[in-house]
Amino acid sequence: MNTAPYFHLVLQPDLGVVSTIRRFTNDLYQRVLDRELAGRLALATHEVLENAISYSNGRETELRIDIEGDEVNLRTWNHADPERIEAIKDGIDHLMAAADPDAYYQECISVSYQRTDGGSGLGLARIRNEADMSLSYEIDRDRVCIRATTKLVGGLRA
Amino acid sequence: MTLQLANLEAPMLTADSVVTDKILTTRLHGTADTESRPGLEGYVSELHKEACRLGMSKVVVDLRNLEFMNSSSFKVFITWLGQVMELPADAQYRIHVLSNPSTHQWQRRSLAALSCFAVDLVTIET
Repeated sequence: MNTAPYFHLVLQPDLGVVSTIRRFTNDLYQRVLDRELAGRLALATHEVLENAISYSNGRETELRIDIEGDEVNLRTWNHADPERIEAIKDGIDHLMAAADPDAYYQECISVSYQRTDGGSGLGLARIRNEADMSLSYEIDRDRVCIRATTKLVGGLRA
Repeated sequence: MTLQLANLEAPMLTADSVVTDKILTTRLHGTADTESRPGLEGYVSELHKEACRLGMSKVVVDLRNLEFMNSSSFKVFITWLGQVMELPADAQYRIHVLSNPSTHQWQRRSLAALSCFAVDLVTIET
């Protein structure tokens, strides 16, 4: 039997619940994880879920948090349009390829300042830089899985 | 001259401001997320206009009770800093941020990134 802790949520896309889910998961993180790690994961949970809901084509969205070995994994699944899928792939590829993540994040902030479409384009960049998590994706037709991973610093509290 | 800035009263986010001795102090309380972003955007825009109109030398932004700020609200602050940077040098005002990263851990890295964007204008107090 797999006894590794996990949390799995399936929801109808609704941006109004993201802050509620962040608070709930933050309480879970604070209970079992190092405080600094919990703070980073709370930020990442908010941004990755908000990203998944914002760019869902209306079908259900999922959030799963797993503690696996010495890693914590956040995963979201949604269904997205082809243009959005390409943007996600491109965004994550560039974030993960950046030789200097801090400098690239500042570039992202400067680009965000120039944007006038209401978006920030910073959600995934915050996960990469501020939450210090690696990002990857898996695409199956219109179904998108985004995974954010970090080391389980400090282990699990008893 | 008196401050002409209505308080922000969004469901999850409130803000209010006062002026004392050429310093405008604004306090945010709650959560700055997608739902509260339009209100925050309008409030910060008016705050900037008032800081310019009143010739403020400094704006203090008290985020000690701001539980969280998402990326779209973060952009509201980036836009604000950019607007201040685009002012003539003698019209620019400094922005001093009061933070509480021991309670709200996101503030440590987010505010550091924000201050890097406008390094000559922004100071962070923990």
